Amino acid sequence: MREITFLEAIREAMTQEMERDSRVFLIGEDIGEYGGAFQVSYGMLEKFGHERILDTPITELGLTGAAVGAALIGMRPIAEIMFMDFTTLASEQLVNQAAKLRFMFGGQSSVPMVLRTPAGSGTGAAEHHSQSFENWFVHVPGLKVVMPTTPYDVKGLLISSIRDNNPVVFIEHKLLYKTKGEVPEEMYEIPLGKADIKREGKDLTIIATGIMVQKSLAAAEELIKEGIDIEVLDPRTLRPLDTESIVKSVKKTGKVLIVHEAVKTGGFGGELAGVIAESEAFGYLEAPIIRLAGREVPIPYNRDLEKAAVPQIEDIVEKARELATLKV
Amino acid sequence: MAIEMIMPKVDMDQETGTVVEWLKTDGQQVKEGETILVIETDKIAIDVEAPGTGILNGISANQGDVIPIGTVIAYILEEGEKLPAAAASPSAPEPAAVPEPTAAAEEVSATPVAKKMAETLGVDLSRVTPTGKGGKVTKDDVQSSLAPAALSGDVIATPAARRTARLKGVDLSRVRGSGPKGRIQASDVENFQPGAGMVAASHVQSGGTIPLIGMRRTIAERLTASYQSIPHIQFTARVDMKNFINARNDYNELAIERGDEKVSVTAMLVKLVSMVIADHPMINSSLVENSIILHQDINIGVAVAIEKGLIVPVVKNANQKGISKIAVETNDLVKRAREETLVGPDVRGGTFTITNLGPFGVEQFNAIINPPEAGILAIGATTNEVVALEDGAIAVRPIMRFTLSADHRIVDGAVAARFIADLKTTFENPILMNY
Repeated sequence: MREITFLEAIREAMTQEMERDSRVFLIGEDIGEYGGAFQVSYGMLEKFGHERILDTPITELGLTGAAVGAALIGMRPIAEIMFMDFTTLASEQLVNQAAKLRFMFGGQSSVPMVLRTPAGSGTGAAEHHSQSFENWFVHVPGLKVVMPTTPYDVKGLLISSIRDNNPVVFIEHKLLYKTKGEVPEEMYEIPLGKADIKREGKDLTIIATGIMVQKSLAAAEELIKEGIDIEVLDPRTLRPLDTESIVKSVKKTGKVLIVHEAVKTGGFGGELAGVIAESEAFGYLEAPIIRLAGREVPIPYNRDLEKAAVPQIEDIVEKARELATLKV
Repeated sequence: MAIEMIMPKVDMDQETGTVVEWLKTDGQQVKEGETILVIETDKIAIDVEAPGTGILNGISANQGDVIPIGTVIAYILEEGEKLPAAAASPSAPEPAAVPEPTAAAEEVSATPVAKKMAETLGVDLSRVTPTGKGGKVTKDDVQSSLAPAALSGDVIATPAARRTARLKGVDLSRVRGSGPKGRIQASDVENFQPGAGMVAASHVQSGGTIPLIGMRRTIAERLTASYQSIPHIQFTARVDMKNFINARNDYNELAIERGDEKVSVTAMLVKLVSMVIADHPMINSSLVENSIILHQDINIGVAVAIEKGLIVPVVKNANQKGISKIAVETNDLVKRAREETLVGPDVRGGTFTITNLGPFGVEQFNAIINPPEAGILAIGATTNEVVALEDGAIAVRPIMRFTLSADHRIVDGAVAARFIADLKTTFENPILMNY
């Protein structure tokens, strides 16, 4: 199968959906003429024109509100927030409007929109362009939160998100954009709420999100040399969460390491740990549930400090080894 | 020079000893030859004497611990002497009771935080492995020396271990944990074998819990194992004891004349049973692995109730000994059993057991086999009963009921029945013993 990048897979999904469904359009800052801050929508303006590729002024609240309004009257907007850090500005429309309207109108209306946004550190973009806010939105009923980690997944998950009748926050880690993988040319859906076992193993389950899935897979390849066989579970969708797959994996291995880039306190790892502790998997635990997550600091500008602020492959190797060999 | 105190070997085939009680604690002065420890082997309690004079220190085996023989379990130090480095092994179990701070502990070099922590938590610094600069004990050293289970009596186990224990009916307080700080993992529960290297629940709770240690544990484990693994088949027969009683009276008249010891009912039973067993080899056998081992010696165990439980001293080669000799031996064994002065050889090598609850008025009962023996005979009380004689007349006779429990894997019903029939005949005609 042909290989394309994560970024190209997103562009292909949007392009194919726009070709299939005239209600789908893009709205965001610098997505048209400039092609997007990460060039995700590069070339789409030429293909679809200004009516369907809408460059907006620098107003995250305004463009998100426009998307919510368009969705309410039957369009299927894909809004792009250039950096996830700026979703704070968009969150009034997202949290208080998009997530609520379907419920407030007794299901007579819906908000079928996707809010795409690049997240995470690793590009030297410092405090205001590096954050991971997924759990802010996971906390809101009425929103769906998707975090794809491979080119194959991102295409299928984005198509499903566009076709979903609920507002979806679609989080793309910046460091994944250039990663390559096999992606079918035809359209396909990956259902929201379905986790994926990215690597099967028996000694330890790593539940990772975003870029940490790739780092965990690299860590697993290191540890298999020591005979430690790691299972890497990628929830792919944080809300709704595929609890069943998580429970099944934990029951198999008895040990859980949760890895995410977002700051540990109040992070999604706490939710995962809670879900496991409440489930029947509890009785299969052979060690404490361990979270490896971002440090309790804003992402620093200094590259070394930036690296130190979030889990790296060697951190995962060390923690996974400790857990698998029952040192904790 | 520190004198090592080891778990002594007091029996030929002894591999471990159980600590029953320390009569002295860390830091106390002891004299050479003074009894400072009580240990127990399978069935025998032994007093252990101090191997030297000095200060007892570094006790590393607590009540209920099962310790391999030869293992150093304490030291006797001279005044001001420090514990040898080996005594500070991190694997040394922490004592259940917090010892008084000793002179030795104060001399241990430790960071202020470690000292404070040790004081708060009652950790004996002399037993912590130091990793700090200049051999100083650090906070982390104190932390890692903590065996939470030993200190608090709590069980530290993973959820998986608890679930496994629940499914398997294993008491977690007896399982030694292999995880961090002694945490019990599911595999520890799965591999747990009652009787092997266990740690006792050594705390006597305020409600009056009796720790399952030493003899009590041995009894509990053996009986459970026996009853669960051996298919018991049981037969009861009724015996007219008239001739038995007369014979015993005759023997005792003779004994008095000669100034010998009196012949007890037990001695009579031992003699008669051993004679009958000689004709029934399957009753005197053991099932071990894939073979039935036929024993040449006929060694009859006699169950004796004592304050702490039960002990079974053995009359060796009873079938080859005269009744007066057996009387002397059984009297001696029973006396020493009650005084708790039996030694290993007294309780080993049994091939069949007799247990007699007749003196308590029990008419009939079923006993549990004492492995690896193939059978046990439960003797009931002899009481006057109205019986129909063979000619149809009614008479009052001294009747006794005995019940054989046999290992049905070895002993078929008919084999047991023939043994029972011969026993009945012999009990009713003890003169046959001299035939």
